[in-house]
Amino acid sequence: MSLMELQALARDRKKAGPRAKEATPDNKAALVFLAPWLIGVAVLTVGPLAASLVLAFTNYNLLQPPKFTGLANFARLLSDTRLHHSLEVTFTYVVIGVPSALAVALLLALLLDKGMRGLAIYRSIFYLPSLLGSSVAIAVLWRLVFGGQGLFNSFLGLIGIDTQKSWIANPSTALGTIILLHVWTFGSSMVIFLAGLRQIPREFYEAAATDGATTWRQFRSITLPLLTPIIFFNLVLGIINAFSAFTQAFVVSNGTGGPSDSTLFYTLYLYQEGFGSYRMGYASALAWLLVVIIGAFTAINFWASRFWVHYED
Amino acid sequence: MKTETIIAEAGAGVTSGVTPTWTDLDPPPRRRPAWTRWAAALAKHLLMIAVSVVALYPVLWMVASSFRPDSEIFGTASIFPDSFNLDNYTAGWNALTKPFSTYLINSAIVVGGAIIGNLLTCSMAAYAFARLRFRLRGPAFALMLLTLMIPIHVVIVPQYIIWAKLGLVNTFVPVIAPKFLASDAFFIFLMVQFIRGLPRDLDEAARIDGAGHGTIFFRILLPLMTPALATTAIFTFIWTWNDFFSQLIYLTKPDLYTVPVALRSFIDATSKSSYGGMFAMSVVSVLPLVLAFAVGQKYLVRGIATTGLK
Amino acid sequence: MKSALTRRWAALGVAAGLALSLAACSSADSGSTGSSSAAAAPSSAAAPVTSSAAEPVTITLTWWGGDARHERTQQVIDAFEAKYPNITVEPEYTDWNGYWDRLATETAGGNSPDVIQMDMMYLASYAGRGALYDLSSVSSLDLTTLDSTLLGMGTYDGGQYAIPMSATSWAILVNTDLLGQLGLSLPDTETWTWDEFEDFALSITTASGGTVHGTGPQINAYSLDLWARAHGDATFSGGDITIKPETVASYFQLALDWSKSGAMPTAEQYAETATAALDQSDFALGKLAMIFTQSTQGAAYAQAANANVQLVKIPTDDANSTKYAYLKPGMYWSISSQTKHPEEAGLLINFIENDPAAAAILGTERGIPANPAMVDAIQGSLTDAEKQAVAYAESLASVIGPAPEITPNGASAIDTALTRYLQDVLFETSTPLVAAQAFIDEIHQGIEAAQ
Repeated sequence: MSLMELQALARDRKKAGPRAKEATPDNKAALVFLAPWLIGVAVLTVGPLAASLVLAFTNYNLLQPPKFTGLANFARLLSDTRLHHSLEVTFTYVVIGVPSALAVALLLALLLDKGMRGLAIYRSIFYLPSLLGSSVAIAVLWRLVFGGQGLFNSFLGLIGIDTQKSWIANPSTALGTIILLHVWTFGSSMVIFLAGLRQIPREFYEAAATDGATTWRQFRSITLPLLTPIIFFNLVLGIINAFSAFTQAFVVSNGTGGPSDSTLFYTLYLYQEGFGSYRMGYASALAWLLVVIIGAFTAINFWASRFWVHYED
Repeated sequence: MKTETIIAEAGAGVTSGVTPTWTDLDPPPRRRPAWTRWAAALAKHLLMIAVSVVALYPVLWMVASSFRPDSEIFGTASIFPDSFNLDNYTAGWNALTKPFSTYLINSAIVVGGAIIGNLLTCSMAAYAFARLRFRLRGPAFALMLLTLMIPIHVVIVPQYIIWAKLGLVNTFVPVIAPKFLASDAFFIFLMVQFIRGLPRDLDEAARIDGAGHGTIFFRILLPLMTPALATTAIFTFIWTWNDFFSQLIYLTKPDLYTVPVALRSFIDATSKSSYGGMFAMSVVSVLPLVLAFAVGQKYLVRGIATTGLK
Repeated sequence: MKSALTRRWAALGVAAGLALSLAACSSADSGSTGSSSAAAAPSSAAAPVTSSAAEPVTITLTWWGGDARHERTQQVIDAFEAKYPNITVEPEYTDWNGYWDRLATETAGGNSPDVIQMDMMYLASYAGRGALYDLSSVSSLDLTTLDSTLLGMGTYDGGQYAIPMSATSWAILVNTDLLGQLGLSLPDTETWTWDEFEDFALSITTASGGTVHGTGPQINAYSLDLWARAHGDATFSGGDITIKPETVASYFQLALDWSKSGAMPTAEQYAETATAALDQSDFALGKLAMIFTQSTQGAAYAQAANANVQLVKIPTDDANSTKYAYLKPGMYWSISSQTKHPEEAGLLINFIENDPAAAAILGTERGIPANPAMVDAIQGSLTDAEKQAVAYAESLASVIGPAPEITPNGASAIDTALTRYLQDVLFETSTPLVAAQAFIDEIHQGIEAAQ
């Protein structure tokens, strides 16, 4: 059966009446389709997740059996000033970094989606920064660009601002350079946006054009609503990933979160506690606090999505 | 039109990027005065070129650095190599105890397995979450999202213990098997969103026609999900290729080292290290990624719009 | 409902099983913690081994380092395997950060490598938690070749858990080419005081017009300990941090003064390269004329900076008052308490430490060998910079005092903490005394938590 016939069938059904609801749930089929995932969860996920939850109530130094310490780790969460500082750093990063990167990615995806010459090349070039990812080369380069004698200051010099400021080494601007590094790797989100844009049936635009809708109107009433599931995805994952951001700060500060803890991301601190100081019990408590925080943001996101995300089903 | 071509060529330096299918697909532009369109196109290309420069610069710098002697790498942010010395490449290729090809092959095995695993199992799970009604769907979906939120550093030790007990440390199993068990929740969620963006009428029509879930999934949805599948394949390629931590932990025999583990082994912060060799091998290891993206990107845009669905 | 319940119980079972595994994996040695002699006893699974038994044995050797070290160590392994055909050595290597992550995970998983390259910062953490084997009960390893003071720095709680591989000392490294270009020459460095040092450093900055700075700060646990000892204090005693806040504060104050006077780069300039690798450091790039460093890194810096260098003594306020200095093991070798083949592991360490064939291959890549006989064996192949390092260590003889206490269990993050607090001081978000107290508190809490 061809797709075209199917669609015709679907249209007939639609004309015939409201969508038929199946009475039987798809439990069996779900079991089949979810089988790999379920095995994975049972064997690889649930155990370690539960173990880390249990460890959060212990003193576990990796080399000796964990010792139960009750709520001691959670009590420490309240008084740990480095933790509070790392939360501040991470929230700043999420609040500024996520919207900026998404805006850049969406704008460029929209521009690229409208046909233009050489766009395959642009698309590939824009994606390059994401390929380099966590390369040590990036750490070296970032210093050369945002250091006191760096390229960025030379550029500022060209437009008449003469400064020797080391953006990467000043505690008040170091985080900014890492946010820039994040925005710079907008390619991943852009690719997802592009794929989403390509899923919007072209006949919608044709119909709209026939009706004489302006480009802006087409964007407002077709592109944007139909892209909302993907915008939502990028937003949810962007927030989750930003809260868990590790690699960029690790590479740029060589794992220290410096200068003066100004780039001490939450997971970087967690890593320092777990693997640097061998306090895996406390690191587990930190992990579950993070889960609660991210979980809350994600739940809010899902709740809010009802009001703005448009699904075809 | 002419200006556009010239600018595109000037900006990209290469002429190939004409994709006929693409222009065919676009919504028909509204007629506007010619000069407005030229100006708009010009502005757009200028913006694209500016972004390209920012995106390309570090890559070019890395390539240029791979031709420089160690002592010159850190001093200059210039992207123009002053010398064309291939010493770093020959030295870097053989700097570790095995030739670099060993690590490339190992990474290729891991990446190949990961892509197949993710494409197959994540799409299956996504179909279930997006289209099927079953008990505990909500909690299961929440659990899936939860796995995205927990930092790897607190679950790696329990996971390591599982693999160690199974005697599978120092095999590729611990780094590939999870992909066949749909452990990358990112891609499940991605595909759920894509499937939910597809009109449900399609599968309902098929179902009425007697098609089972297998048919609906494989014959109807999968072909429509090409952009999502391509995204998954490309991202899996890149992320697995760059993934350092789990490969460091599970693959401890130098024969089994993958590219990221090998690259880190070049550098010791407390002694003189072969940065030149590291940069050269970084360039070598980025090449497959660039190729993968160049080849894969055209599938990214083959969605519903290109299937002839009317 | 029933099936859901069953699943829930199954999940709990998995969790409990894993928690038990965590316990089991470390339990082979858990009974022995605190009692050093018991800690040495191999787990029951380990069969008693006679040295170089005829049956084939495979042991794992792990180390951190860069590519040069990997290559040379592999050659040593080849030589060892040729000498002992029944023993196969499997290498495991990576960089410093990855090394400790991997080692901790492997040890937690009961899968530790047999022979482990160890660092002073982590020695007590591993030994104190029963992860290491007492080397004094390994008959195949000759411990008598080393100086007893140095060997003493491989002990913890009465057990010999590590053997120093190399020895290093704290020094100032001077780029003499740069001084020449600036028309300056070193003052008498045998007797110089901290004030004279700062004046000289400042004169370098001034002479260069600010393009070169005189010196970097000294910032690590080793230099803090030397500073403390020179002022009648010590970082650790009785397994805890006991240094006075005033001592740490004066150590911070030194760098703050230099930073303000211009003898040292500004806080920002310093922070920019604070975490950079040796090759990227300001000294390597010719922006610093002097740095504080381990004497054995002089050769690497000289190569990175492509300049002539000279090692000179660090200043003291009262040249002959105290025997404050000591040689610090550059790195150690240890055997895992999880090993099934302690004697074969001992043979391998013995080969690396005490066999001239191994020394000839390794050279000074891991530092000046701790075994004096090996230094003699490779004398002929030493470069000028390396000879300088050997001579420098010998020149310290008059100020060498007793061995210090090693970094206690739970204080392995001392270097990174010290750097962090110094940056707070340099950026003036904290005063030296406040930072000193916070530093001591943090380390103390870490040690306490590890008990």
